[in-house]
Parts: sequence; C-alpha cells; structure tokens
Amino acid sequence: MSMKSMSKKSKLEKLLAWAKVRIPVDVQEMKTLTNEPVPNHLKHWWFALGGTPAILFAIQIVTGIFLLFYYVPTPEQAYQSVSKISDEVAFGWYVRSIHKWASELMIVTVMLHMSRVYFTGAYRKPRELNWMVGVVILFVTLGLGFTGYSLIYDQLSYWAAVVGTEIAASVPIVGSLAADFLRGGPEITGQTLTRMYLFHVVILPALLAGLVALHIIIVRLNGVTEFEFDEEKKLEHKTFPLFPNHFLTEAILAILILYLLTLAAIIFPAGLGEVANPLMTPEHIKPEWYFFASFRWLKLTNVYVGVVGQIIFVGVLILWPFIDKIFENKFPKAELSVWIGFIGFTFYLTLTLWEALV
Amino acid sequence: MSLNTKKIVIAVIGLFFLGALLIVGGIESNKRVLGKKAYIKVSSSSQNCVDCHTVTSPSLIKQWRDSQHALKGVGCIECHGAKSTDADAWSHEGALVAVIVSPKDCSKCHANENEQFQASHHADAAKIIGSLDNVLAEVIEGDMGALALNGQSPVAVNGCWQCHGSVVKIMENGRPDPATWPNTGIGRINPDGSKGSCSACHSRHRFSVVVSRQPDSCGKCHMGPDHPQKEIYEESKHGIAFKAFKQDMNLSAQPWRAGIEYSAAPTCATCHMSATDELPVTHDVGMRISWNLRPPISEKIDAKAIQAGEHVVPWQDRREDMKIVCSKCHAKNYVEGFYMQFDSAINLYNEKYGKPTTSIMKMMKAGKVLTATNFDEELEWTYFYLWHHEGRRARHGASMMAPDYTQWHGFFEVAERFYMHFVPQVRIACEDKIRRGGEVANAAKQVLAELDSILGRDEHKWFLGKMTDDEKDRRKIAAEEFKKRYAQ
Repeated sequence: MSMKSMSKKSKLEKLLAWAKVRIPVDVQEMKTLTNEPVPNHLKHWWFALGGTPAILFAIQIVTGIFLLFYYVPTPEQAYQSVSKISDEVAFGWYVRSIHKWASELMIVTVMLHMSRVYFTGAYRKPRELNWMVGVVILFVTLGLGFTGYSLIYDQLSYWAAVVGTEIAASVPIVGSLAADFLRGGPEITGQTLTRMYLFHVVILPALLAGLVALHIIIVRLNGVTEFEFDEEKKLEHKTFPLFPNHFLTEAILAILILYLLTLAAIIFPAGLGEVANPLMTPEHIKPEWYFFASFRWLKLTNVYVGVVGQIIFVGVLILWPFIDKIFENKFPKAELSVWIGFIGFTFYLTLTLWEALV
Repeated sequence: MSLNTKKIVIAVIGLFFLGALLIVGGIESNKRVLGKKAYIKVSSSSQNCVDCHTVTSPSLIKQWRDSQHALKGVGCIECHGAKSTDADAWSHEGALVAVIVSPKDCSKCHANENEQFQASHHADAAKIIGSLDNVLAEVIEGDMGALALNGQSPVAVNGCWQCHGSVVKIMENGRPDPATWPNTGIGRINPDGSKGSCSACHSRHRFSVVVSRQPDSCGKCHMGPDHPQKEIYEESKHGIAFKAFKQDMNLSAQPWRAGIEYSAAPTCATCHMSATDELPVTHDVGMRISWNLRPPISEKIDAKAIQAGEHVVPWQDRREDMKIVCSKCHAKNYVEGFYMQFDSAINLYNEKYGKPTTSIMKMMKAGKVLTATNFDEELEWTYFYLWHHEGRRARHGASMMAPDYTQWHGFFEVAERFYMHFVPQVRIACEDKIRRGGEVANAAKQVLAELDSILGRDEHKWFLGKMTDDEKDRRKIAAEEFKKRYAQ
C-alpha cells in the first residue's frame, strides 16, 4: 500500500471519528439492529406482501409532491389544474397516472397483506396490538384514497365526495358533526376542497408515516412470526439474512411494481371527466371501487342499519385478535377464524362485484 | 431463489421497466408537437401553415391553439384545404387553399348544425339585397357609380352586408373581390353556393362557445335604432342578472342547459337556441319564435310560409318550445301571463298604427298621390321611421320585457310620429293633390276619407277631441285618484 493511499485512509478514518463524536452511533450495533436474520418462510413471495404497501407509499409521496407543484385546491381552479397536469405539464399525465394506479394497488396490497396475516394467524399473541395498528393503517389508506379522489373535482369525483360525506353524516350521534367538519359546513363548498386537500397532503400522510413506523417497530420488537413450511424443516439454517437476501426480494418487488404501474399508466392513463357541477347529479354516482361493498351494503339496508352494521364490522375487525381468542378457548379445534375470515372475505368480494356489475 | 438469481431477475425486470419508460418518453414527445401545449395534434400539411403563420400572424395561431379544434386535431388544411374545381381555390406555398370557410366546409363535421342553420331565417339574411333597405344603402345613402368600390356602394359593403352577408365574388386570380370580402355576414352567399358564415357567431380561430353564447355576439347586428334587441335585453331583468352573475354562467360547459349547468340568467342563446333537459340545441333561431315583428304589420312567424303553400313548424309549436325554456326559471302562470301581455302589445301596434298607416301608404302609392320613387317624399321617411324604427322598438321591447323601450323609445314615439307627423303629412299631400285636380285628386279624397275613418275609431277619437263620455269620466276619476294618492 502506498503512502498516498494510507494518508487517504487516515483522512477517511479521521472524518469517521469526527462524525462518531458528534453522532454517537455504533455502526456495528446498527448493523445488528437493522440486519436481524429473518425466518426462512419469508422467502415465500406471499410473505413479502407487507413491504409492498410501504414501497407504494414511498411512490405516492414522490409522485404526490410532483403533483403538488401544479395542483390548485380551489373549486375554480382544481379541475383546470388537474387538466393542466394531464395535458400540458411535461410527463404530468405519467406522474398522475402512476399516483392513481399506485393508490389503487396500495389498497389492494394492504388488503392482501391483511388477508395473509389473518389466515396465517399472525395477529395472535403477542401481535394483537400490531394487528390493530394495521387495521388503522387500512382505514387511513382508504381515507387517502377518498380524499385524493375528491380533489380531482370532476363530476364523478365531486359526487363521490357528496355521497361519502352523506354516509358519514348518517353515523349516529357524531355523524352530522363529523360530516360538517369534513365538509366545512352543511354542503360541499370550496371549504370542503381545502379540507380534503389538507387531509390528503398533510394529516393522513403524516399519520400513515407514523403508523407505518410504529407497525415496523412493533414487528421488530416482536420479531416476525415463527412459521415453518414442511420443506424448511430439514434446512440447517432456520433464518436467512435480511440484507442482502430479503432486501433484494423487496427490490425485485419495487422494480416490478414500478414496471407494472408504468404499463398501467401507458395503457390506462388517468382520465378526467366533465368538470364538477353541483347543480347536476349524474345518472350513476359511484364511489371508488374499494367502497363498492360499503355502498352496496348501504343500498341493501336502510341507512341506519347500514351504517351501524359497518361500525360493528370495523369494531370487530379492530378487536378481532381478542374475539378470536374467545372463540379459540371455546372451540379449540374448530378453526372458526378461517371460516369466519373466508365468509367475510367472500361477502366483501360479492358486494364489490355486485356493485361493479350494476 | 439464490442471491444471483435475484440479481438477474432485478436486471431483467429493470430492463423491462426501462423499455416502458422509453414508451412513456415517446408518448410525451408525441404529445408535445407544438411545444408549449400538449395534446395538440396537427397534420403535417397543417404543420407548414402553423410554422409560417406563427411568425406572420401569431395571434391567429395562438387563438387556434386555444381552440377545441386544435385539441381534436383539426388544423388549417382540414378547413381551408380546397379542390382545384373550387372557384376560390388558389395555390399558396405549395398547398391548394381557399380563404373562405363556408358552412358547407364546416358541415363535413357539423352536419346537423348546418342543416338547422340552412333552414333558418339567418341563412336568408342576404335576401335584403334588392329590398327597400338596400335601396337606402346603394342609392339614397351611398353610390354605385364613381364613389363605389368595384361597383358596390361603400355603405352596403361596410354596413348592411357585414351583418346580412355579401354575395362573395371571386376575381380572376382566384382571390375574393374586396368589395365582397372580408365579410362575416350571417347570410353570406359563398363561392361554393352555400349560404351563411359560421364565424358570424363563432368567430375565428378559437371558435369558443363562450363567444357565441355572449349576448354581445348577437349584439354585433341586433342593436341600434331599428332593432335594439341587445339594448332591450340589457334593460330587461334577464340582462341585468347576466351582468351581475356572469361568472356563474358556466359559459364553456358542454352541454349548456338552463337549470342544470347554469341558472343565474338567460342569454339570447339560452332562449332562442340552447338545449334544456327537454329540448335539443337548435341552430335555427326562429324555432322558438311565434311572432315576426320585423315587417310594418307584425304577423305570426309561419304566415308567409302558409301563404306560399309551404309546410313549416306552426307558430303554436314554436311558442310551446319557448315556454319550455321559460319554465326552467318561471312558473306556468307567469309565462302564460307574459305571453298575454306581449300579444296585447303587438295587437295594439298592428291595429292602431301598423295596419292603418300601411293601408294609407298603399292607397297613396296606388293612387299616385305619392310618386313611384321611394324616399323622395317626407311622408315616406315618416312612415319608415314609424314601423322600421319606433314600431319595432315598441314591439321588441314588449317581446323581451324592456319597459322603457316599449314605452318611451317605442309606443310614445310611434304615437308622436303618427299624430304629429304622419297624419298632417298625409293631409298636406292629399290637399295639395286635391287643389291640383284631376284623377289624382279623386284618389287623394279617398285617402282623406280613409284617414278620417281611421281617426274616427275609438282608439283615435281623442285626437279629434271626440273622447267618449265614459273615457272622459275615467280620465277624471284617474286624475282625482292621482291627486289624492300623491297629495298634489
């Protein structure tokens, strides 16, 4: 080694030493902390689903910031600015389409991840709290979808917001208060747009970022669920390194997602209907597809039963680990959770398809 | 999956992703053909026009860029392109083009609009050529001789024809005769034989519906002393509301239906042309009009066609359609009440002034009490003012709810013209002819007898000091009431 390179190294070492005094973090400790070996079952793709919403969330933040450069949250200019993003801004249509499709995919992957966690019983002790955090993440994600859709301010978007806030208004006791708070008054006005905008770009993303961080910290504290497939039983090593092995799996997913989103943007670019018209109710008002089940349910029942039913559903979903425990104690061998999950999921899909087809 | 396989998978998907990004780049560059505004597509032949005219007439290109045409790929050649057989085709920078875009050209895409327009009174607006008005412009006000432009009176060229439309003549070099073009008169006779000019209302080159829905667009021609529809509209509650709430009019909406896309006020287009939830848009502006208030004696709009043995939509159906438009803002009884008020004003004008003056004028012409030459005698000007200016103001004012135009600019002036000018001038002309004797004197006596008979009618009696006792009593009671109410 030449003197020159030695002096170089020593300079680097000096710099690291300088930094270490000011940022007292042990690199080795950090490596151990962040690079905990993960169990073999994570090699299965099904178990990588939890990372995908996080990847999509990152995509949403980046594309969302780009959209913010041009979006104007006033009733007079919202539609025009979306139209400008789609038609005039360089690559605006691409960024907007990615944002749209990533939002849809984010909801799909959150649901799939939850299904995986549910059917593998990964919500059970000691992970009950993380399941509850996950359920809240689902609703915050749905909230982001709803508020984001209402910002477009075309006919469908406007009327979806009208229907959405009216559903909120039908919640007993606090409903009208909540709806008025969402709308900034008894009707959808410029105030509503400002509020939806605030929820969509500040409150809900910040909440989601916090919840995701909490979710991951709890995962790290509890450790990933111990789960062993038959073929893994004979393996010598019960775990494999998070980095680079699992990291590369997530990298494959990230790049695959970007590829698929780009294809979706090319083939089905985000469209824009007629400008919102508070005077004209369109013939078919529909919310986004992920609210189809809820919408159909409300149509099937009267508003009161419909809304109370949904509140009960949300309550059961949040408290499911504890309810499941009661079932398990009473009927240890019945595997009731699988059946209930299967029926619940089928019910959701049926309502969604029903609404989609009529 | 081994680490290496994972790396290969990443590389392969990465390549696919890059490929997709290339497609994204391709789409983006295709959309940005004209630089600033995306989505403007333009054919390669039109691109040459755009390149050059961006320098020579930049606003024209800018206006077109902001148009729906530009967004939908309708460029220059799509409208201005010509065939060698076209009378007005000329070779311009290697392309065969025509300056004038006629309704026939527009009908390639807007067939329904053209069909409706061709059936309208607007399409026949150039029929004025050869009418009484045109005698004014060509002979009385203007000149067809030494002071003419290519043999045409500058008054007609710059005035009448700019609203009514010229008969476009093509010179030997294939360019339009400047005496007949530029012209966007609504009844223009085009070199291809078609009638009309879409740009009369839609304006070049932006073709925005916002422009054509503005009362100002109609006001280019429907204004002034002889038919002040624009001013009448502005005086009415309709016009006041439009001015106050113009920002709520949603003027660029498509469709544009009263009570749905907007509800603040109606414009001319709202009542005469635009769609409602029950009616389609029509480019035949007469389809909701029941009266023709243009001639000396008002007549129902289908009267002429019935006389000619033609079958057209009856006036009752047209009025029903107008009532449908009214009903978007007014209750049924209100609309019915308005039409009763309006009809009563037209009936009064016709019976008290229109018919009597017209019959007297006809008698005087036939009996040679007046010369064959129009407008060489004061009485002819008086009569013209009475029906063509003041009479129309009174009638149009009533038709569109403008009280001041109906009363002070209208019936008051009609009455003054009739009693203070028409009646004395008829008497003077007749008495003059009677003094001179001969056959004309007999005709003049008959005219005077007719005049006396007209003035002897109930509605004119007051002028002869022959007010009925009933009427005298009514006037007296009214005067006392007035004094009592206002303590005068």
